[in-house]
Amino acid sequence: MSRKSPYTSFITLTAFLLGILFIYTASSKLMHLEIFQLRLERMPQLPPIAHWIAWLIPFTELVIAGLLLIPKYRLAGMYASLILLGIFTGYIILVLQTSDSVPCSCGGVLSALGWRHHILLNACFMAMSLIAIILNTKQYRNKILDKHTT
Amino acid sequence: MKTSFLKIVFPAFAIIMAVGLAFATEKDNLPQQGYAATPSGPVPVQTDCLDEGIIQCKEGTYFVYKDINLTMPLYERE
Repeated sequence: MSRKSPYTSFITLTAFLLGILFIYTASSKLMHLEIFQLRLERMPQLPPIAHWIAWLIPFTELVIAGLLLIPKYRLAGMYASLILLGIFTGYIILVLQTSDSVPCSCGGVLSALGWRHHILLNACFMAMSLIAIILNTKQYRNKILDKHTT
Repeated sequence: MKTSFLKIVFPAFAIIMAVGLAFATEKDNLPQQGYAATPSGPVPVQTDCLDEGIIQCKEGTYFVYKDINLTMPLYERE
């Protein structure tokens, strides 16, 4: 009988929450793609590539959500979420330091959040994926140790 | 049984829930109609600015208001 790791529930829950977040924001963007593109065009440095980014972001989010929801690719999905959320958060912080007015090109009700809350939300999800990656690695090591000891 | 639940039902539930939420909150994602106070008079603009805040919202160099009479200012997201 295989031993169940205490970390599994946390990893599954994190993947589930991140999956919901990415599918939700991607769907919200795709439902009003023109508005999303318009918002991107108002962001600093983005107007020349806004058309491509408007397609690329929701597509990437859906791919990452797919990775997160398939157990075999979950770890890759966690790394990808951490990188994507890091890019979003880094860009927001950078833009807020250089510009007074930044339109929110986030999806769904997230666009109603203030910038501080938005950064806080991203940071929470980033922390969750980081912890899940660490736990996943620990779990993998324990499995290998178990194999060698039995 | 438990494995198939985690592999099939769990992801399917997540997808349905997320897409459902996106449709349910669709209206919250739309920009509102505002009016930019230009020297030639109020010009209609689509804006993401909020009804409440501290820093007044601008479209380019012009302040943005909620009403055409330019009496209700809109504010930047903070």
